[in-house]
Amino acid sequence: MPASGGRSLLILPLALVLGLFLLWPVLFGFLASFTSYSPFDPHARFIGLSNYASLMRDVYFVRAFRTIGLFTLVTVPVELLLGFAAAWLLREPFPARGMMRVLLLVPWLISPVAGGVMWRFLYASGSGILNYALTLFNLPLQPSPLGVSGHALPAAMIAEIWRTAPLVSFLLVPGLISVPSQMWQQATLEGASVFRQVRHIGLPWLKPLLLPVALFLTGNALGTFDGVLMLTGGGPGAETLTPALYSYQRAFQLNNWSLGAASAWFIVLATMLLGAGYLLLMSREAHE
Amino acid sequence: MSAIGWRRLSRRRVRVRRVLLAVLVFIFILPLAWTLLASLGLHPDTDVSHVKWTFPPTLRNYAEVGSVEPAFLKEMATSLAVSVTSTALTLSVSFLAAYALTRTRARKRNGRAQVFLILASLPVMAYVMPLNATLRALRIYDTFTGVCLAQTAVLAPLAVYVLSGYLRQVSLDFEEAARLDGATPVRVLLRLILPAHALSLAATGTMLFVLNWNSFLIPMMLTTSHVRTVPIAMSDFFISDRELEWPTAAAALIVSLLPLVTMIFAANRVLARFVLGGRTDV
Repeated sequence: MPASGGRSLLILPLALVLGLFLLWPVLFGFLASFTSYSPFDPHARFIGLSNYASLMRDVYFVRAFRTIGLFTLVTVPVELLLGFAAAWLLREPFPARGMMRVLLLVPWLISPVAGGVMWRFLYASGSGILNYALTLFNLPLQPSPLGVSGHALPAAMIAEIWRTAPLVSFLLVPGLISVPSQMWQQATLEGASVFRQVRHIGLPWLKPLLLPVALFLTGNALGTFDGVLMLTGGGPGAETLTPALYSYQRAFQLNNWSLGAASAWFIVLATMLLGAGYLLLMSREAHE
Repeated sequence: MSAIGWRRLSRRRVRVRRVLLAVLVFIFILPLAWTLLASLGLHPDTDVSHVKWTFPPTLRNYAEVGSVEPAFLKEMATSLAVSVTSTALTLSVSFLAAYALTRTRARKRNGRAQVFLILASLPVMAYVMPLNATLRALRIYDTFTGVCLAQTAVLAPLAVYVLSGYLRQVSLDFEEAARLDGATPVRVLLRLILPAHALSLAATGTMLFVLNWNSFLIPMMLTTSHVRTVPIAMSDFFISDRELEWPTAAAALIVSLLPLVTMIFAANRVLARFVLGGRTDV
């Protein structure tokens, strides 16, 4: 075992990078939210809680958090479910399994920006696949759901699920492969239904992997920005406005940098709460 | 039921599974296939909604990308440079730290890894604005160095989490034996640990490369003009008023995706080793 001095030396580069470019900005953003600071204006004043007061009064801010809450509550479980289903189907070895696993990962390779652009065209009435499908069934053409009130958010959710569910399946496959094959044989001999196999072998075995994946997906969903920026820009109205888009708009379009920082800090807070819940679940898991 | 009956049942299950898998893969690949066809000039007519099967398919749209965005190749090169540098930096920094963090018999090492996962789940938007101020203060705003360092900070927590998952599985006794034979700690790390983890590092590096290549917020918020990556160029098309035709956009999309698809299929075997730090191959 290296001496403890040697160990600190190995951790030092990481500590420097994270300290300077992650932890300090988080702290600095928090401190700046109590001032009128802006990188373009050196004369920052202490303004107390006034940023937070204006956030609480702002219907758009509250709505952005409600929107992202709904977005997360729908997309993450569906992504886990679809990803699990795909991983389940890839569980048993067959000649092209490795290829299939990688092929299923391809949608995740598209950047959220490019994905947003792609789905905008897919949903569009002229070039889109949606309207093409409608004409196959002799149904009338529809305008892009991205512009229709009430349809934009579900449309954005579908684009997100399409991009992320493949990643979930990719991450879950090794977990299912590692289940000892006797367990499946035994279950098959006992005549256990697929549902019972999922419940009594698949899920318990995957639990230590499902929790981290769920945390990662939820954190990502809370920060949804680029995809929605490309798809709808937050519209129609403010129906798909996410907290990340909100912070960005306050800081750079309305030039209220510290208000943007204050609202971004709520994303940190949400992630921290989520992380605390995660640690609690994991420690309970370890004691079982 | 007889043994033959069971075998028949399980064979039927396998067949059902194959069909379901094919359907699922079809659904997930369909939007991409549609995009690929559009980039080749095969797309529905804007007025009459039926696919216009023009033969032969054309590469005109790919040439069009170059004339709409003359710097597209340069932007691809920038993306490549940023991604390679950031991935290498992230891997080195994280591997050293993950090694040090897992070289202890204490039970808390698992808890430490969890903290890194929470950091990895923190959305970039939560701290990218103050990060912008930090880079300005350090005089590395709008520089290649600044983008790579920021990108490293964003992805290192995930890398530490994944790599410590691999490193935890190497028994300490193995190293201690080498140490007793007179190997120095540096020698143990370079000659023993590093080669043993080459494949795991390659798998992690591939995933980090994808995340780097697709990163948008970091280059958008931390540069103005000097580091233009592909996602930045793409977003400029759509946020500004420039109207882009679908076939051209589709061609740009396919071109920007090609390096990743090539890499993923080339690294197919290596990627099979990618595991998200769980207990999975205990």
